[in-house]
Amino acid sequence: MKHIVRLILIGLVLLTIIVVYDGFYILEEGKQVVVTQFGAPVGTPVTKAGIHFKLPFVQVTNTFEKKILIWDGEPNQIPTNDKTYIFLDVTARWRITDALKFMQAVKNETKAQSMLDDIIGGTVRDLVNKNDLIEIIRSSDWSPEEMSPTTDNIGTKPKQGRDKIAISVLEQAAKITPQYGITLIDVMIKRVNYIDSVQLTVYNRMISERKRIAAEKRSLGEGQKAEILGKVDRELKQIISEANREATAIRGKADAEATRIYGQAYTQDPEFYAFQKTLESYKSAVGKNTSLVLSSDSDLYQYMKSISGKQQ
Amino acid sequence: MSNQDQQPPWGRRNKPQTPEEFVAQLIKKLQEFFSDVKKPSPEGPQNGNSTGSPGNPFANASRILTVLMVLIVLQGVYLSFFKISPGEVGVILRLGQYFRTTTSGLHFKIPYVDTLYKVDTENIRKEEFGFRTRMPGQPTFDRAGYETESLMLTADKNVINVAWIVQYKVNEPYSFLFEVQNVQQAVRDASESVTRRIVGNMDFDYVLSYRELLAAEVRKELQALLDKLKAGVGIVTVQFQDINPPDTVKPAFNEVNEADQDMKRLVNEAQETYNRVIPKASGDAKKIIQESYGYAAARVNEAKGETERFTDILKEYKNAPDVTRKRMYLETMQEVLPNVQSVYVIDKDQQSPLPLLNITGAKDLSAPPTK
Repeated sequence: MKHIVRLILIGLVLLTIIVVYDGFYILEEGKQVVVTQFGAPVGTPVTKAGIHFKLPFVQVTNTFEKKILIWDGEPNQIPTNDKTYIFLDVTARWRITDALKFMQAVKNETKAQSMLDDIIGGTVRDLVNKNDLIEIIRSSDWSPEEMSPTTDNIGTKPKQGRDKIAISVLEQAAKITPQYGITLIDVMIKRVNYIDSVQLTVYNRMISERKRIAAEKRSLGEGQKAEILGKVDRELKQIISEANREATAIRGKADAEATRIYGQAYTQDPEFYAFQKTLESYKSAVGKNTSLVLSSDSDLYQYMKSISGKQQ
Repeated sequence: MSNQDQQPPWGRRNKPQTPEEFVAQLIKKLQEFFSDVKKPSPEGPQNGNSTGSPGNPFANASRILTVLMVLIVLQGVYLSFFKISPGEVGVILRLGQYFRTTTSGLHFKIPYVDTLYKVDTENIRKEEFGFRTRMPGQPTFDRAGYETESLMLTADKNVINVAWIVQYKVNEPYSFLFEVQNVQQAVRDASESVTRRIVGNMDFDYVLSYRELLAAEVRKELQALLDKLKAGVGIVTVQFQDINPPDTVKPAFNEVNEADQDMKRLVNEAQETYNRVIPKASGDAKKIIQESYGYAAARVNEAKGETERFTDILKEYKNAPDVTRKRMYLETMQEVLPNVQSVYVIDKDQQSPLPLLNITGAKDLSAPPTK
């Protein structure tokens, strides 16, 4: 009999151990639990970390994340309002705020992710369709100061901007998610890119734009060169002509001075000056190939006719 | 040594001298303990089973339980202590709930009740965008295949290729562990989103020329965003590695650079001409002016000289005008006439019309008409 008592005792000890083990559960930080009894939820979800009690065997814990979770959508090909096709990759952060609803409506995280695909994906598509590309590229805090002067068409401030669109997506999607026990924390537009065919045309446009700038620079260079060369010509002429003017003036003054000196001297006896100058001029004016016809009564030949030199 | 001499009598026999001896003794004891099973156990006679069969199952069970208990206690002792390396932080949960955070060193925790999470708070974590380092510590990296990460749109609707890194550190270990499920992914997402948003506000050329500004803005906004999520990390640095036009467009960009060089070259060439010509022209101008001064001096001096000569001659002339006149006249003639080809003297009285002259060939004429 002692044997059987001992067996029963051991059995009881084991049972107690199991009851204690299954009756308590430890809820770790970052997790939350919904206790269910035969599938039906009992009480409100437990969110505080620590040790908690439940009925062993009868009640089961369903653990969910309390941390912020990340939803990452598949890149979507969406046309904008101005008919540009873009790839849009959107990501969102969410958390399970009502574990009970979440358990009933969604069951698990994988399903939640695909549900968010539908909700956020649809909202993004709607809003991108309604907005021009520039609204998705620029944000509401865009300012012309962050544009370089080389850009011709700076464009305008977006009506909404990328950040406001993301907030609109969040607001619209956040209206739907609470029924699944999910709270959306934020929605971010992670990547925006052209689809391949559009990208090609954009590249071509960029190339032509650069070619235009290159041509502009070259022509600007030529222009500046021509301008400098023109300046060289102008300055050259100016310098030389100014020098010539000054030189001529100096010469003129000297000529005038000389004239004055000559005049002063020669007026003493103009007749003698004329005589002397004429004689001097003969020396240079009468050259080798000259033939002279002189009258016989000239001063030189007068004595040829008569010794007296008297004219008859 | 004196301690060994003063050992109490009860401990003398089994006192282990060295750890090796201690282990040996332990093994021996264990062997004795299990070999007891084959000996008649003290409980055996109580059940009347003294046949030396495999024995009382309870006796065996209790032995095994004892061993298990010893093992569990040993493990518990082992688990009670933990070491936190420098640069790490230990976060301890007691029954799942946050209890405390420890710094580096040796610490104690209650086994099976406390859970330890180690977080490296000094290690700088790095995320690469638009490229991946092939081997850590080497400058080789791959850029191909990461275009979806690196291509982004600028405010002028152009496409730009940007590669950057984000370095961050855990500064709130609790938040890092329990607030966000995948902090690394959160950092990556936020970083891409913020960078694209800011690049989207700038035009192409602006992004190319103001990378520091871009980095500073991204860093600020990224930190704010991660703080909002309570990710528990601090951004150490955001660094932009390569900001380039997409490969297809690159040649066109190089052409612009070439054009820029051409432009500078042309201007330099013109400037060179200017520098070569104008200073020389200034010199030439000075020369012209100096020459004119020379002329002026010469002209005036000449005038003075001539007039002085004239005045002097005039003075003497006035003393004997007739003679001097004659002398001067004749002297001049004397000087002039020998050079002249031919001289014709015509009688003053010859009233007839001037006889014909053969001016060029006077010698050949048979009868010169004047004679």
